[in-house]
Amino acid sequence: MRINKNMYFIVILLIICVGLVAFFGIKAGPIQIKSIQDIRFGIDIRGGVEAIYEPKDLDREPTDSELESAKLIMETRLDSQNILDREITIDKNNGQILIRFPWKSGEADFNPEEAISELGETAKLTFRDPEGNILIEGKDVIESEVEIDKQINRPVVTLVFNEEGTKLFADATEKLIDQRISIYMDETLLSSPFVKNKITDGKSIITNMESMEYAVELSDKISAGALPFSLISKNHSSISPTLGFGALEVMVKAGIIAFALVCVFMLVYYRLLGFVACFALILQISVQMLALSIPQITLTLPGIAGIILSIGLGVDANVIISERVMEELRIGKTLDGSIESGYKKAFSAVFDGNLTSIVIAIILMIFGTGSMLSFAYTLMVGCVLNFISGVVISRIMTISLSLNKVFRKKSLYGIKYKEAI
Amino acid sequence: MFDFYKKRKIFFAISTFIIMLGIISVLINGIDLSIQFKGGAIIKYSFIGDIDTNEVADKASSVLNRNTEVQVIEDMATEGKKLVLNLAGNSGLDSSEQQELDNILKTEFSELNLQLSESNMVEPFIGKRFLINGLIAIALSAVFIILYVRFRFKKISGLSAGVIALIALAHDVSIVFFSFILFKIPINDSFIAVTLTIIGYSINDTIVIYDRIRENKNLPKYKKVSYENLVNNSINETLSRTINTTVTTVASVGIVYIFAYLYNIESITSFALPMMVGLISGCYSTICLAGPMMIMWQKKKAV
Repeated sequence: MRINKNMYFIVILLIICVGLVAFFGIKAGPIQIKSIQDIRFGIDIRGGVEAIYEPKDLDREPTDSELESAKLIMETRLDSQNILDREITIDKNNGQILIRFPWKSGEADFNPEEAISELGETAKLTFRDPEGNILIEGKDVIESEVEIDKQINRPVVTLVFNEEGTKLFADATEKLIDQRISIYMDETLLSSPFVKNKITDGKSIITNMESMEYAVELSDKISAGALPFSLISKNHSSISPTLGFGALEVMVKAGIIAFALVCVFMLVYYRLLGFVACFALILQISVQMLALSIPQITLTLPGIAGIILSIGLGVDANVIISERVMEELRIGKTLDGSIESGYKKAFSAVFDGNLTSIVIAIILMIFGTGSMLSFAYTLMVGCVLNFISGVVISRIMTISLSLNKVFRKKSLYGIKYKEAI
Repeated sequence: MFDFYKKRKIFFAISTFIIMLGIISVLINGIDLSIQFKGGAIIKYSFIGDIDTNEVADKASSVLNRNTEVQVIEDMATEGKKLVLNLAGNSGLDSSEQQELDNILKTEFSELNLQLSESNMVEPFIGKRFLINGLIAIALSAVFIILYVRFRFKKISGLSAGVIALIALAHDVSIVFFSFILFKIPINDSFIAVTLTIIGYSINDTIVIYDRIRENKNLPKYKKVSYENLVNNSINETLSRTINTTVTTVASVGIVYIFAYLYNIESITSFALPMMVGLISGCYSTICLAGPMMIMWQKKKAV
């Protein structure tokens, strides 16, 4: 690509556009780009709850399907509390369930202990008549499965009751012929099948399933209601919303001041090259933010450490390049020659430094857990961006600027008048 | 031009002194693993008014049947006060126990308007798993760095370069570790984050100088000079870069620290402060230790 003297203008414009998108996002019909305001912060920054649950008083390892059922209970409960921005992970090796959810903005009622206790309680599955009287409880259900009804070729959910349940179910169906029997988990209505006739064999079939997925979900939820244990959390942390949002605001302020300071330093010390560096850094930070906000990667405190390190390496790349260009100028090379060889010579140091960081980040992604993954991700993205913005973009800008007559004075490149002669 | 090789003994003495000081402070203070690693429970409340910490401790201990330490901290920017309950022993607290404690404290000390602000409970085995994974990652990164430097800097005797880079790293990591001990910051997951950052930063610093040595080695004007001069000149040539980068990075982290300190955001102060120490150490170890050690290694080999 041939670089012409107006290209710097286009690059600056482009960087400003990327910056604006990163900070304000785009919400125009089908094109939606999430911005810095939508970044998902870890609970260590924003405040929220993180808890690891394990079965209470269970003398064996929970099975995989029990853990899946337990996860479903938690999901249903969080849904009913309107907590949709959450992560629930099952750790099958250790028989644990990990839950993280942030506070809703403006939440005033902060009672994490209660929320954590309630989430772990055994789900209460009940069958109720239209008046709401409880007829049968989840403990009387032995199993629930999805089958395909061959006659109508549609999925159905079959329930098998124990002895007690069979008797209760027979009584209930006798009373409720031509009415509905409602199945609740806690206070959430799962399904309201229509009773056609009295069922005495302890085997019930719920028909009229909308889809296979729906049938599986219903069946799983019924199984979850029959879970033989409740969950307890001895590992949990919570940070209040006020503390969380306050910390975030303070950090943003500190970050802006720190960035301004770096820019002032670069401008004073490296003049035109410092100006280019500032824009290269703006591009790097903007894309870094987009890399967090678009895929909704959770940003934790170690993640911020990763950003600091990669911006540090980004500043370093620009410093190395600027120093190199200045050196070349000092030994009397022409401006064009100095820029060309300055970038070329600086490249290997920038390359080695960033590549080692990228590999360290990859090692961390493989071995790291939890909040360390956020560090690894931000560091890796940051270092890849260093190559693009620190080396390619800043080179295009510098060469393009230097082709303009006004920008050809050596003093603009940080060389003192005496040295420039 | 500054002769870093000639002054090497002073530098080695400084580093040895600091490390000795660190070891002594470890012996005196002990290593304070945070509850993230050893398990335990910390609960923080914001409150208004004055409080008798002993009274709270007694109440909490009698409810939970566990020894409880109570402290009050204040933050400078908002003048808010916080009550910190530290439960002895190394197990967490389940949420119903915590609820019970919460109810009792709120009714017993209703005039304080207690509001839960943070809570953290960890069972020891969870922390152990986390710590071990972190250490594995750090060890593997170290191995990789030796191999990479050895391969990329073959021309300037890669093995010595790799080993020395690693010694510089170990120096920086131990300084970071000591700064946690000195500032009485419990070793928590920010320790792992800071250590990894410093490893990344310090190795980058060292590589920049190696890169310069490798490049200078082929220049005609360095053909005739000794290895000592080659390394010394290379360090001096990259000196303004090293200092400028360190100054800007330390200043940026410093601003973050000052803000976090004023607003008493402990999770951030506890990583910004050791990070600043580590950044300075990383810059120092590269210039003052790695370079002179390279020369010493080569001289030994030549004998």
